[in-house]
Amino acid sequence: MVRSLVNLIHLRRALAVRGLTLAGSALDSQAGREEGRIRPARLLEDASLAWHPVPPPAPWPDPVAFLDGVQRSVLLAYAGAAPLVLGDAAAAVRERRARRLAGVLQARRVLLIGRPAALEAAGPAVGGVDTLALPTDEPPHPGRDLANAGRALDRVRGALERSLGEQYRRRSAGWLLVDGPLTESPLWAADSHLVGIARSHATLPFDGPDLERFLHLPAAHRTSVYQPETRSVSPVLEWALRLWPWEGKDIFHGLVRVQVAPENGTPERADLISRRILAERAPLSPAGDGWDRLLYGMHTVQRFLRASTPY
Amino acid sequence: MSQDVPPLGQVVATELKPSTPHQFHFWTARDAPMGIGAIVRVEHAGRVVFGVVTDGVAYSDLATPMHAVIGADGDPVAAGLEPSERVEIRLFTASVLRQMPEEPLQPVPLGPVWLASDQDVALALRMDAYTAGDRPTGIPVGLYAAGGLESPVYLDCDFLLGPEAAHLNITGVSGLATKTSAVEFMLGSIFGTFPRHKGSVAALCFNVKGPDLCFLDQPGALSDEDRRQYARLGLRPEPFEDVHYYAPFKPDGVNLNTLRTHEALAANTQPLVWGLREVLDYAEVVLNRDDVDAKADAFIDFLAERVVGREYQDDMLRGKPFLVQSFADLEVFFRAIFDFMEVLGKGGEVWKTHHLATIRKVRNRLSNISTRSKGLVTDDGVAQDLPWGAFADRSVHVVDVAGLDPLAQDLVFARVVSKLREHLERRDLGVDHVVVFVDELNKYAPADGAETYVRKMLLDLSERGRYLGLVLFAAQQFRSQVQRRVVGNAGTAVFGRMDMDELAMPAYATLSPAIKIKLATLPKGELMVRHPHFTQPIFVRFPRPAVLGGREGIERFPPGPELPFAGAVARQLRRLDRRIAPSAVEALLEGRREDDVRRALSATRRERPADPLAFFSACLGRRVNGEVVGPRRGVPAVKHGDDGYGI
Ligand SMILES: Nc1ncnc2c1ncn2[C@@H]1O[C@H](COP(=O)(O)OP(=O)(O)OP(=O)(O)O)[C@@H](O)[C@H]1O
Ligand SMILES: [Mg+2]
Repeated sequence: MVRSLVNLIHLRRALAVRGLTLAGSALDSQAGREEGRIRPARLLEDASLAWHPVPPPAPWPDPVAFLDGVQRSVLLAYAGAAPLVLGDAAAAVRERRARRLAGVLQARRVLLIGRPAALEAAGPAVGGVDTLALPTDEPPHPGRDLANAGRALDRVRGALERSLGEQYRRRSAGWLLVDGPLTESPLWAADSHLVGIARSHATLPFDGPDLERFLHLPAAHRTSVYQPETRSVSPVLEWALRLWPWEGKDIFHGLVRVQVAPENGTPERADLISRRILAERAPLSPAGDGWDRLLYGMHTVQRFLRASTPY
Repeated sequence: MSQDVPPLGQVVATELKPSTPHQFHFWTARDAPMGIGAIVRVEHAGRVVFGVVTDGVAYSDLATPMHAVIGADGDPVAAGLEPSERVEIRLFTASVLRQMPEEPLQPVPLGPVWLASDQDVALALRMDAYTAGDRPTGIPVGLYAAGGLESPVYLDCDFLLGPEAAHLNITGVSGLATKTSAVEFMLGSIFGTFPRHKGSVAALCFNVKGPDLCFLDQPGALSDEDRRQYARLGLRPEPFEDVHYYAPFKPDGVNLNTLRTHEALAANTQPLVWGLREVLDYAEVVLNRDDVDAKADAFIDFLAERVVGREYQDDMLRGKPFLVQSFADLEVFFRAIFDFMEVLGKGGEVWKTHHLATIRKVRNRLSNISTRSKGLVTDDGVAQDLPWGAFADRSVHVVDVAGLDPLAQDLVFARVVSKLREHLERRDLGVDHVVVFVDELNKYAPADGAETYVRKMLLDLSERGRYLGLVLFAAQQFRSQVQRRVVGNAGTAVFGRMDMDELAMPAYATLSPAIKIKLATLPKGELMVRHPHFTQPIFVRFPRPAVLGGREGIERFPPGPELPFAGAVARQLRRLDRRIAPSAVEALLEGRREDDVRRALSATRRERPADPLAFFSACLGRRVNGEVVGPRRGVPAVKHGDDGYGI
């Protein structure tokens, strides 16, 4: 048996003694795909970023729906240096009435992704599958092409999600909770019954002491409402909400950013929506699925989509 | 048909839970009316499979119980208030009842699952083979019900009453298993539906417990639901029409030893009386096997062949011949031997090759029998017996042994069953099939304990009865307490509400835990049935029997009071002639010996003369004045000497 050379418990204790904040999880689990950056937001509620205790949880009125999407890709072959990828993107809405969740909308696209030449080379071997051509402004590079294919599939999934979200809102007066930011769609950004719940924190809205306050937000508290800096034309408002105590775990544990249309950005609305999200902490999503931030309703959408993957 | 109704479930198979030719798994919606014991149909790609649900599991996507605690923040109340219900599965396991086509035998296909319809149930249980056609042999046993559907279930009488298989055994706890009721219902069902082409059938029931079977000829209270079930099964809810009751006397020899003594029921309740001959023939039943060595056997044979029922002349013992017809006569005979030996003194150890000790032993044993079966055994040696040779189709004969000493019960059992057997072997009983109902079988064929004649007889009946049309229906609380081979030979096994400890016995190991729980909580009127045609046990519901139960019967027909001697005699005579005044009888009995009165009474009963009182009085008179006739011969000759059932 190999003895661990470093005693993590001792090391953590020593760091805590020196006033550092301890982190518990393995690194890769919380690192987003994007690079970390800070985009300073404009505070709307308080003079400086503040914590607001959220009143007791209160469940969402019926019906409420959850929208999420999944994607998956496999590398099929190389045509010369250019990879050929089979991608599957899917999205679904599950609606809850009387505590029961049921699927109401779903969409799926299976795509063969690659440079036009690679798609050409595949020819009839993959007949019947839709294709998606990658840009050719740079020469083939297996790694870069794969990353491009991933981003292309991302966009396909995003489009499926937006389309389902809009469909759902057209047919229902109920609230729709979306996994991720609302800024993707101008329609979403203006919809008073849409709530985006962002679970990744690659982009942070503050720096300096505000960032520290932001990251040390206690459980069942929300931050002041702010307007995030965004490249997209559709303004949304946002606050952070801590679902579970983070102390002794990690500063990101249970931390989500809630995005709403501007009309929901009043402190009262922020409190109400936060209470409702807090009520969604139970039932818990399965461990390993980022249960501290993934609402159970979202989890069931993801599981439903994965269970019906065509390959 | 499958096209009309949407399926309720879908077969699933994984590497860990695969479909096999004998078992499969399927899931249903959470609120589907599916349950343990339900019969289902799977139909897929030209193959139809019927199964019965034997187990079920439900689980949610909860990873560990700890997640529930965290999610509810440690508050069980909050756990029920979560805004979303977790996804749950209802996964059932079913055992295959039948596959169509049967060949090639394959794993159950992964197809949709329906609840079985009437027609499906018939196919699943292979009842199509014996309920259809021009010579059907189906006997309704109850209704199978699931998910709002309800179908009659039939047993095959070729497998219930022979010759293919036979016998029915029913197990379950007291009072809740409805064992006795189920047998009563089954007898009614057999009488109502036993096909003409199979011949005639009668039933012989031993009433072993209080008033249990005392009112089979009286209608019982039925609910509308009971009547509906009878109609659905195609049966008429009526009590038995042709019922005969037999009960021995109490030790006084004049009051009947039964709870069926209400005046209104007297017409078909008759005494069961046996003579010394009947007893001696079955001496080995009641004599402890260890006691009856070859020497004792030889002496008993000597008594049976040379002494009992005939004149026995031995000038060494007595000048005039012996006529031994009763235990009292036998005692006189024994005394004579002992007196004679005593006179011989030292040399008197052996009498006619029989050792004195053997003679003493046999005498002690026989006198023990006469004491313990007093009331069953007559003093005048003339029997009143069952109508051997004259059993009518659909007749029920109830022998009430509930009040008898166990030894006398054994004697009755042994003799009645042996007589049935003899007559069926000779095909002269009057019917082709007889169902013998023995309640509390564990008492008569116990799993452990010494080998007894009755147990051997029941084993023999269970092993060979089916060829003769002699069928055993038996009930007991604990199957494990009955000799394995006796219950094992029952082609049809029925289970009512069972005791959990009993279910823990190895014999029930093949039942799934879910089936065991169902058996342990089975409501009254529901049974689990095993039958040769059914690949798996099936649950059915049956209506209350159409006859009056023991407890209600006793209330409606309270037993007549036990009368003093004279009163009891008068009551018996009044059955023959209503005009006879009790006071007249009392006057007649004044100063008579009870033995003589019993003799006269039994002669009168047998003779059924035009003027019973005069005849009775004459019998008494002749006895008192009659030194003319031999000491014990004051009784008119029996007309039908062989069975004493002179009508
Ligand atoms: N089909 C039926 N549906 C509902 N109740 C019934 C049904 N048949 C009988 N019962 C009731 O169940 C009770 C018990 O019936 P029964 O005497 O047949 O049980 P048992 O198993 O023979 O009991 P024990 O072991 O004490 O002899 C009776 O009170 C009877 O009324
Ligand atoms: Mg009973």
